[in-house]
Amino acid sequence: MEIVVCIKPVPEAETRLRVAPDGRTLDPEGVKFVLAGYDESALEQALLLKESLPGSKVHAVAYGPAPRTEEVLRAAVALGADLATWVEGPPGVGGDPVAAARALAGAIASVPHDLVLCGKQAGDDEAGIVPPALGELLAAPDFGSVVDLRWDTSASRLTFLRSTEAGGERWESPTPCVIGLQQAWNDPRTAKLPNILKSRKATITKRPMESAPPGPRSEPAKFELPPPRTGARMVEFKTPEEAAQKLVRILREDAKVFP
Amino acid sequence: MSAPILVVAEGSDGRLGGPTLESISVARTLGGGPVIGFATGRAANELASDFGRFGVDRVLIVPNLGSDAVPVGVHANAVAFAADHVGADTVLFGGSIFGRDLAGHLAVRWNAAVATGVIDARRDGAIVEVRRPVFGGRATETRRLEGPHVVLAIRLHAFAAPSEDPGTPLVDVVVPPPVLPALLAPRRTSVEPSTAGAGPSLGDASIVVSGGRGVRAAENFQLVEELAASLGAAVGASRAVTDAGWRPSSFQVGQTGRSVSPQLYVAVGISGAIQHLVGMLSSRVIVAINSDPSAPIFRVADYGIVGDLFQILPALTAEIRRVRGS
Repeated sequence: MEIVVCIKPVPEAETRLRVAPDGRTLDPEGVKFVLAGYDESALEQALLLKESLPGSKVHAVAYGPAPRTEEVLRAAVALGADLATWVEGPPGVGGDPVAAARALAGAIASVPHDLVLCGKQAGDDEAGIVPPALGELLAAPDFGSVVDLRWDTSASRLTFLRSTEAGGERWESPTPCVIGLQQAWNDPRTAKLPNILKSRKATITKRPMESAPPGPRSEPAKFELPPPRTGARMVEFKTPEEAAQKLVRILREDAKVFP
Repeated sequence: MSAPILVVAEGSDGRLGGPTLESISVARTLGGGPVIGFATGRAANELASDFGRFGVDRVLIVPNLGSDAVPVGVHANAVAFAADHVGADTVLFGGSIFGRDLAGHLAVRWNAAVATGVIDARRDGAIVEVRRPVFGGRATETRRLEGPHVVLAIRLHAFAAPSEDPGTPLVDVVVPPPVLPALLAPRRTSVEPSTAGAGPSLGDASIVVSGGRGVRAAENFQLVEELAASLGAAVGASRAVTDAGWRPSSFQVGQTGRSVSPQLYVAVGISGAIQHLVGMLSSRVIVAINSDPSAPIFRVADYGIVGDLFQILPALTAEIRRVRGS
């Protein structure tokens, strides 16, 4: 199976967020970028499928500026991706997710792809737009919030569970298919040192930045950080019952979160 | 006269769901043309009538999409057709998984600027300006969307339901063009109820009670579930709990689990690692119960109880049952 995994570099979770001098976006200065959390899960899923289906290949594709995009692609190669393609994007952060989807789709359409795996959303913009937009652009069915993805060899179909508000839905689909993964793995693999060293020399296929076609635009205008939290108002009590009574009174009368 | 705003319905038992009601509220205040409803499926007629309850006087319906369960691309085809049919310039979806997936589709299909997770939207001439939480609620961004078309998926619980203004809408059946056969090939083979049991699901609950490492063992998690049941809340967990196998990964709230934004989030025995916080920081009110007064969770919580959860939880559950009279 030819598996394409779309990955995005995002600021690592512990990043102290600061506003850029122009006030429009996060200040990317000094920020360490890593593979987005759900994308890491998607890559792990791709590698598990590859291991169970001899002859499969995993192709990591990413869109974004140097150097962070190239770095996460090398990280994907160190983890086990066979091929890597970098679609160069404009510098900075806060870009339009539809533009990202168009750039990724252009790269994916030109390579073999039975299964296109993405994280269901990235931890920075949390837009969740790329997976469904890719489905539309590649004219393939797409499914978001997927867990428990398998390949049914006898039927040549993907089977998977979609996590929904009401519970779950089991689906089966032929390929090509786009999947937005929500799986959380308990123990995703980590890269071994020799593979990290090898990944530094791995070939990254680079596709040039294409100028955006005229059309709808989504542009960042302002990036705001909430005022620092002052810390919790602590409930003072002598017995557990007193704590319970005080908290319930606060929640009903002050916070008004239930009647 | 300004172009109409199309509100896409989602509902069950023939009633519009909370996410759709919230998007009607946004459509009313966004400014622009009249609000037109859109509904699909076997219950389309009932959903259309329900739109009438909120003063929406015109609804387009597609009663048959080819099957009860089709990939979201098939819905996008129908919505794009309906939007063009009435000359809409804005399409609104509720803050559901369905709404968000459909928004990404429609942005491409209908050539629109798009934003999801919207907590505020206003029209400024040809531009729609939206605000949305990013980085797990640790920041808020404002984006300017320039059409001609704009698609918004609003954030669940960010808006109140609209006031009622009963009427009987004019209902038109529209027939979208056929979709690519590949889009109809996937099949839904079964529907499974929530693993969380009888309570509401994590994704759309207005109250969430989550347990963490402090619960210490799988069997103790029952204390968390009893508190949740007394509040009519969904049950969540930190990664420590799902890693330990005390509860399945579908319970996980955080960076690689679910993101939730309920009215009330109760964190029990959760220390408050950033990977957990980014999944719940945009909750309206956060309560932390932890035996360690220096736990980072108390820095983000609104209210805190430092104590032994094995004593506090039963007392709290009993008190809530008492005040709720059950």
